[in-house]
Amino acid sequence: MIRTAGLTKRVPTSEGELTILEDVGLHIETGESVAIVGASGSGKSTLLGLMAGLDTATSGEIWLDGRKLSDMDEEQRALLRARAVGFVFQTFQLLPSLTALENVMLPIELKGDPGAGAKARKLLDRVGLSERWHHYPNQLSGGEQQRVAIARAFATRAGVLFADEPTGNLDTATGDKVIDILFELNREFDTTLVLVTHDARLARKCGRIVKLVAGRVASEEALADSGAEPAHA
Amino acid sequence: MPDAAQPFSNPLGLRGLLIVAWRLMWRDWRGGELRLLFFALVLAVTSVTGIALFTDRLERALMLESANMLAADRVLHTREPAPTEINAEAVNRGFRTASTLSFTSMAFSDNGNMLVAAKAVSDAYPLRGEVITTRRPFTRGAPVASGPPPGEVWLESRALPALGIEVGDQVFVGETELTVGAVIIAEPDRGQGGIVDNAGPRLMLHMDDVAATNVVQLGSRVSYRSLFAHDDFDRLDEFERWVRDTFDGNYYVRDVREESEEVAEALDRAEGYLLLGSLFAVLLAGLAIALSARRYSERHYDYVAILKTLGCTSGRISAIYLLIQLKLATVAVALGSALGYLVHEGILRALQASLQVDLPPPGAQPYAVGAMTAFICLLSFALPPLLALRETPPLRVLRKDLTQTRFSDRIPYAFGIGGGIFLIWWYSRDLVLTSLLVAGVAGAGLLLSLISLVFLTSSGSAGMKAGNAWKLAMTAVRRRRRQNVLQVMVFSVTIMSLLILGLLRTDLIADWQAQLPENTPNHFMMNITGAQVEGIETFFADNAVDSNAFYPLISARVRTINGSEPEPEGEPGEEERGASLVENNQFDAAPATDAAPGSGESAEAEGRRVRGRLSRRQVTWAVDLPPDNRVTAGEWWPENPRPGLVSVDEEYADWLNIEIGDTMEFEINQQFVSAEVANFRSVRWDNMQPNFFIIFSPGTIDHLGATFLSTVLLETEQKLLLNDLIRQFPTIVVVEVDALIEQIQNIISQVTSAIELIFALVLVAGALVLLACVSASLDERFHENAILRTLGAGRRLILTSLLIEFAFIGVVAGTIATLGAEGGLFYLQEWVFEQEFNLHYWVWIAGPALGTVLIACLGVNSTRKVVNTSPLTVLRRVV
Repeated sequence: MIRTAGLTKRVPTSEGELTILEDVGLHIETGESVAIVGASGSGKSTLLGLMAGLDTATSGEIWLDGRKLSDMDEEQRALLRARAVGFVFQTFQLLPSLTALENVMLPIELKGDPGAGAKARKLLDRVGLSERWHHYPNQLSGGEQQRVAIARAFATRAGVLFADEPTGNLDTATGDKVIDILFELNREFDTTLVLVTHDARLARKCGRIVKLVAGRVASEEALADSGAEPAHA
Repeated sequence: MPDAAQPFSNPLGLRGLLIVAWRLMWRDWRGGELRLLFFALVLAVTSVTGIALFTDRLERALMLESANMLAADRVLHTREPAPTEINAEAVNRGFRTASTLSFTSMAFSDNGNMLVAAKAVSDAYPLRGEVITTRRPFTRGAPVASGPPPGEVWLESRALPALGIEVGDQVFVGETELTVGAVIIAEPDRGQGGIVDNAGPRLMLHMDDVAATNVVQLGSRVSYRSLFAHDDFDRLDEFERWVRDTFDGNYYVRDVREESEEVAEALDRAEGYLLLGSLFAVLLAGLAIALSARRYSERHYDYVAILKTLGCTSGRISAIYLLIQLKLATVAVALGSALGYLVHEGILRALQASLQVDLPPPGAQPYAVGAMTAFICLLSFALPPLLALRETPPLRVLRKDLTQTRFSDRIPYAFGIGGGIFLIWWYSRDLVLTSLLVAGVAGAGLLLSLISLVFLTSSGSAGMKAGNAWKLAMTAVRRRRRQNVLQVMVFSVTIMSLLILGLLRTDLIADWQAQLPENTPNHFMMNITGAQVEGIETFFADNAVDSNAFYPLISARVRTINGSEPEPEGEPGEEERGASLVENNQFDAAPATDAAPGSGESAEAEGRRVRGRLSRRQVTWAVDLPPDNRVTAGEWWPENPRPGLVSVDEEYADWLNIEIGDTMEFEINQQFVSAEVANFRSVRWDNMQPNFFIIFSPGTIDHLGATFLSTVLLETEQKLLLNDLIRQFPTIVVVEVDALIEQIQNIISQVTSAIELIFALVLVAGALVLLACVSASLDERFHENAILRTLGAGRRLILTSLLIEFAFIGVVAGTIATLGAEGGLFYLQEWVFEQEFNLHYWVWIAGPALGTVLIACLGVNSTRKVVNTSPLTVLRRVV
């Protein structure tokens, strides 16, 4: 599903070039759930951005859903995201001027699929927000906003879901509930999950943990007893 | 797994785009995001449509009103009957036509006789305006549809007592006897023509009676006028061109501007002001649009990043925002057009009494101008920042600090400036004016931004200094230096525009009032001998009428300049203009021999006239510089000047290549006189006063014999005195210009009203821009002050610091605006309106004070919500 080889990201700074990722090679199978962990500044979010086609690497290659991202321009990557990728962010990233329902409908409409309203309502119902669909993001709690974001991420039945610190802005209890929903839907929709987190508990729910140190893959640990089991392991 | 080689299709069709665009627009509208941009657009359309509607109707009305001065829309003035093809063509084109024939003649009755200005008119006369008649002299009259029928004459009031007759009596004109049918109180084109039309009271008769009078013979001094009227000004212009082209420029059909220098100047200046007002209004609205679009786009970086993350391509992002803008503009155009109509209608209703003009219904063009302006404003001011959104990196969802880098920040400015330039050109259709304005504005803009940057760069240290309102405000000013420079620029430009228009309006009105003040003499007396001067002064003194200076008048020809024949420069047209000025204001000893301005002479005759002007003109001598004259080079002669000096009109000197110190030789009464050029003068030719191209120092030509020219102001009830004056001094010629002066004053008062109204409209537009500008900077202030409140800052501290911050920005903007306004006024008055520029000292206090009060009040009023709303609400609202 996702493969990277020799992935390197450098950014120019006033003091010269800064290497954020160096020679990262990863292979994530379809249906697998992978947690990327590491200290702040280790390059976790950068790696997620690169794998999701949100950014371009300085060198190296990335394949997503069978396509080589490094050969694609931003327009092609956007189309690929519309078709194959879902996101959940730490800061939720809902459009504040749209209601919960409209936020979930948006990717369906952007994809051009019919029945956006019905599908979005079903998903909101699935995440336990059937009564809050007409509320705006600022009228929802953090946990509710993240649940809307999860519903949106699964709205287009994307093959791969990228989650960046999905519980980073939530208290433990709320975070647990959100994660439960996330993993439930992941199983239900047979999605590949790539999750960036600081939270060791959360990481251990995944099938594999990739640890980054200073931009390099320091270790990989396969977890037999994870909360999420790959559908096609 | 999909086939890697299979290209992606874009699933989002037009319908999907429309849905997303509509939903975003609707939600943005409900959330208040789009309101400012929308209102700025509505403001642009409202002000432009309102002003365009108003100016369109007012210009038409003023042209119609001005046309009353001619009794027609266009006039062909000839000394001989005009070719019949011209009238036939006019009729063929659906014009209304009429004709008049003017000549001086003696009118006789059983009780007396007098010189009258006779005018024969055809049935259709007048085509514009009304003849007002009555049965008894010096009483109020009523309008009549046409001139006198055959067999009748109508006379002006003062002719009846002079001839000792009443309505119904008989009067002889030449060899025919006609019945006095009415007394003329007013006649639309009374002020037109030269001596032939004004050398006595009017006697109007029917064209069919002219032959019987046997007064008009071969070589008689007569003036033919063919009158044309049509409601479509474009068709009139076409006809004008047809006559010029068909007759190889030998005949000119003219409008009121070409017929009357005074009216032309008033109308030109009024139009210039209206144009300037429209330009300022639309540019101010453009500024509001640019500011609100910028704010909108800044608030949408995150939107776009999320949309891109969800798979929206850059092309679709552009399409979505383009659709939003188009929808917004369509609604804004509809609403703005309706509001523009209401605004102009409301103002017209409010000022119905003072306008005194029947306004024709508006055309469709103003609405088109308003709509076009909205779309141009949108394209140049709003779209660039919105389209730059397409370059927002999707990675912004992970890193908030990322913004698009592909589009330079300056691109929106470049588009805005380009759009502004286009609008100036589009409105003025004048490349030279556009270039000059752009160069002026660019220079001023650069200077102003540098000054504002200097003002706003204070030597602050780190931190917010949050314990003290003054320090808090000053550090805020410094911290937001870049935004504040922009804001100060916008405030400055707005206040500057208002100051320029306000001051220009005051100066223009003052200038017009000075041009023809209430006590402007309205009668000219000519052919006065030296021996008659004292008698005439005594006559007026006995009748409690103030007499004015007597100007000696001699006909002179420039023979040589520094010993060589004069070689005039420039196009004949320039001299022709000079000639018109002369004939309007300089009263030649034998003025009737010269054609009135705009006469349809042959090219050869025109050439002769130009050469004639070079060879012979009326000159005078004077001790003092005449009023409304200004020495522009050299010096006016001292109290006891030596003979042999001459003062020359600067334009005339320029035309003849004369320098100060040159020796000019004149032929006067077959004698040669040399004089040294002592100075050049600028002459106010539109003040209806005796003006001269050439003035000698006393003692130079006094011995050569001269007649005298003087002026006098006679009120309507004093006009009968003219009969006694002419009886006592039968050789003098009195030219009556009271009707002309009254008409010009009337038109000037109307254009004054127009200018006042346009200024009021721009004032409103300016106030709204100020509001938009303050609003555009609110987010950051809201956010910052909400945080301060959460940290325990008191309401008073925050309000005081906001007051100080806005007041400081206001004083800087006001000062810069004052500088810019004086500079702009200098430029406009010297180069565009041809007025004398003077510094306005009071503005140096009022400008900064206005800026301080205005911006402080607006700013505090807009931001005071921050202390009345919970910080959490503010923090949640601000993205």
